[in-house]
Amino acid sequence: MSSFGKNLVRGIVRSNPTFVLLLGLCPTLAVSTSLDNAIGMTAAFVFVLLASNILISLVHNYVPDKVRIPVFIVIIATLVSIVDLMMQGFVPALSKSLGIYIPLIVVNCIILGRAEAFASKNGVLDSIADALGIGMGFGVAILLISFIRQLLGTGKLDLFGHHLFTIPGFSENPVSILMLPMGAFLVIGMLLALFKWMGVTKNE
Amino acid sequence: MSKKREFWPVIFLTLVVVISIVALTLTDGITKDKIAQEKQDAITEMLATLFSDMESFTYDEDGGLYTVLSGGDPIGHAFMAQGRGYGGVIDILIGLKPDDKSLQGIKIITQQETPGLGAKIINASFLDQFKGVGVDEVNLSRNGGKIDAITGATISSTAVVNGVKQAIIEELGNQHKGGNS
Repeated sequence: MSSFGKNLVRGIVRSNPTFVLLLGLCPTLAVSTSLDNAIGMTAAFVFVLLASNILISLVHNYVPDKVRIPVFIVIIATLVSIVDLMMQGFVPALSKSLGIYIPLIVVNCIILGRAEAFASKNGVLDSIADALGIGMGFGVAILLISFIRQLLGTGKLDLFGHHLFTIPGFSENPVSILMLPMGAFLVIGMLLALFKWMGVTKNE
Repeated sequence: MSKKREFWPVIFLTLVVVISIVALTLTDGITKDKIAQEKQDAITEMLATLFSDMESFTYDEDGGLYTVLSGGDPIGHAFMAQGRGYGGVIDILIGLKPDDKSLQGIKIITQQETPGLGAKIINASFLDQFKGVGVDEVNLSRNGGKIDAITGATISSTAVVNGVKQAIIEELGNQHKGGNS
């Protein structure tokens, strides 16, 4: 497989940021209460990660080693602020429901981690593949968690105001605990155990 | 030469910061009007859900009081209130009938209550209870008022009721002091 393809696939399964690297769990746990939030968060996250990987892989040869991390942080913070302003202007409802977790992408360790561990050592094309792979890995994870939490926690599925599915006789008494922060830990813990048991993820 | 090297990181970082300031200024220029418009629309829409006959409104910044107008006549007042919920501050819009004696209704503007439990305070079945209630009767029914708390969401329900009660006392108190209406 080409290095582009390899870098792309690696982020989804073998070094999935959530299920294998266990990075960036705070926003994952906090916003995974509905599919809408998960999709919005993934979009914002992938945009920032992609743009930051591209910019950093372009400038990494010129960045003095001493100010490497400050430069990365300024680039990431700028990108996040752009996304935040754009969301407030064009999708205010989503911006409201994601709240503080958009500005907090600045300190998301996955993004700085990829900048430091990958984009600052590789070319633009490989960095794009890495960003897309890791971004998809994050997206798959947060979508899976929020799917389970929304379905069992409220007994029904809604997507952007459209009603998709109701579990008959269950939506009156759903497992509300799954909607609480504690439920997020339960779901992610069980998924981690499941993937380990199935042999999908293994320690490197 | 060595001197140049020492300063290069500082210059580089400054450059990066300057570029990012330019980028952010441009973005702000594109989105500023849009965000302000969005906020204005949100307020108009909010008031319109409480006062279906609304045609326009005026805003008094000192008291934070909206006066809702229809055909030039006031058809009610509205102001913001805050409740201390389980997940943080709950922002509530309160609408009063023109005589300030009873509620037109209330609306939750922002809340971070637990989805599926406390977040039920945004449901019509809870909010509709406030419609037409006298300003002295805003209280949970177990405390002698007219509002039933949501099962499993006592903290959030209490937060809304107390926030509304408090804001009405403050707002009406202000008006008496100010001597208007």
